[in-house]
Amino acid sequence: MPGAIPGTMPRAMRQILRTPMTVIGLVLVLVHVAVALCAPWIIPYGPSQLAGMPFEPPGDRFMLGTDVLGRDYLSRLLMGGRITLTVALVGVLIAIVAGAFLGLCAAWFGGLTDEVIMRLVDTKVAIPSILLVGVLIPGFGQSVGVLIFVIALVYVAGVIRTVRAQALTIKPQSFVAASVLRGESSLSIMLREFLPNVADLLCVEFAIRMSSAILLVSSLSFLGLGISPPTPDWGLMVSEGVGYIHTDPWLVIYPSIALCTLVVGLNLATEGVANALGLDAARGMVKG
Amino acid sequence: MLSAILRRIGLSFLILVLVSLFVFVATEILPGDALDVSLTDDDLAVLTPAQLAEMRAALGLDRPAAVRYVDWLSGALVGDFGTTILTGAPVGDIIWGPLRNSILLAVLTTLVAVPVAMVIGIIAAWWRDRAPDAIVSTGAVVGYSLPEFVSGNALILLFAIWLPIFPATITLYTQGPMLDMLVVAVLPVATIIIGSIAYLSRLLRLGLVESLASDYVERARLAGVSERRIVFVHAVPASLVPTLNAAALYVAGLLSGIVVVETVFAWPGLGLELINAIRKREVAVVQAAVFLGAVGVVIMNLMADLSIIALDPRVRRNTGRS
Repeated sequence: MPGAIPGTMPRAMRQILRTPMTVIGLVLVLVHVAVALCAPWIIPYGPSQLAGMPFEPPGDRFMLGTDVLGRDYLSRLLMGGRITLTVALVGVLIAIVAGAFLGLCAAWFGGLTDEVIMRLVDTKVAIPSILLVGVLIPGFGQSVGVLIFVIALVYVAGVIRTVRAQALTIKPQSFVAASVLRGESSLSIMLREFLPNVADLLCVEFAIRMSSAILLVSSLSFLGLGISPPTPDWGLMVSEGVGYIHTDPWLVIYPSIALCTLVVGLNLATEGVANALGLDAARGMVKG
Repeated sequence: MLSAILRRIGLSFLILVLVSLFVFVATEILPGDALDVSLTDDDLAVLTPAQLAEMRAALGLDRPAAVRYVDWLSGALVGDFGTTILTGAPVGDIIWGPLRNSILLAVLTTLVAVPVAMVIGIIAAWWRDRAPDAIVSTGAVVGYSLPEFVSGNALILLFAIWLPIFPATITLYTQGPMLDMLVVAVLPVATIIIGSIAYLSRLLRLGLVESLASDYVERARLAGVSERRIVFVHAVPASLVPTLNAAALYVAGLLSGIVVVETVFAWPGLGLELINAIRKREVAVVQAAVFLGAVGVVIMNLMADLSIIALDPRVRRNTGRS
């Protein structure tokens, strides 16, 4: 922190570290990210390798046993968050950049630009996310690329709304009028006057959309519309294990716990950080 | 006020037309037509180009896209979604029974979720920034962090397998009697409701806390109005406005959740029908299901907007603003 006195922390940071739930959330997220990054080097078997017999119980060779095909469940579990996290991350980043640009355009130009952008946003909001994905899959097929595009499409509308609302409160302020008098171009005003003032909002938006996107990608994989087998993925692992829930419930329970700890952690951390920054995360949070 | 109402209704129609255009373009024009995506590679290997052209003509796919769109939309507006490509059955016959079952789930969930969320929201706002508020807030965060396929399977494990109280999967037909559907709806509704309550109670709490900090509440306090009267007579109605503003998001989230829950429990609803149709690449059913989902969101959102106009004098006066 430039200008901070050595040995002191900014007020926001102190408030974050004083809230136990936020710390728990941050730790969960860090552990998940670390596991996702290091997984290829720490897994005992290849995630798609038929290492043993089907449904082997937990033991010395397989710490969490094996799945229906005899693949090591621990390896699949450790690898299971990577694709979802990647798809959610790239998709949401695209949504944030595009949403910030379109939201600022809507607020700055107003008039017809605003009207067109906002009616398109309304149209997107009217189509529930899973239905939106469903309508695209027959024509576009099912691939990681399509999935990223879909995530960006799903989350861009919310970002546009948030950014536009914030930008409209900035627009009447005098420094904006000053930049107009200086003869700055619209693009320059949006980037230099508006963007810094919506930056912290965009960070919170990113975190909120990220947890929601992870839920969406996992749900799609569970429905058979997301990640395709044999990729190790938690949503897919639950759907593969659900047929054996009577005899081997752990095949469902382990990936469920992995997914939920990640999303709960992310939401707790977001909530705490947003509160510390004086922003409200609640309105933006919605599933699907 | 009348112009505000007419404007909202007009906007709703415009959005539905845009949705229909999107649904049509996404499924029919890019990159192949409905016949291409319905046929498997095996079919394509056997069929000659002449046969394909004949099938296209029979399905009306040889007409220009714009003509087909207008045809489809005019049918859709009166509930006629054409026929399926694979079997030639009317789409209406396939979707109306499941639609009823899905609406049943949505209505049951909302009927239970709204009062529960109100109680929770009021509790959290009454003791804001104290222990009950913290517990409710953390509970809500966990609540909407649970995907339906996880909470649904957890409930199946707990209450259908370990404690065999409820059936794990629904074995009723789409036309099953309403009363039988109600009995087996307990676990599916319990699954969707977790996220609904979490979302609604947070919105209500936020609205309540905001209005409790407002000037008119301060004035009422100074005038000696009791805190209970302030909360129930002044703050609760005011907190409904931001909550109703989120109606579109709530309904959209609810419908997405219902698709997952129907798959988890094999509930014979439109969501399950949609997933099957996507797997079979049955485009006409996909179009109909998605369009009907959007109709549901738009209608509920319109009703919420009209309630806001009725509830909030500020909105009534500012008719031009959206």
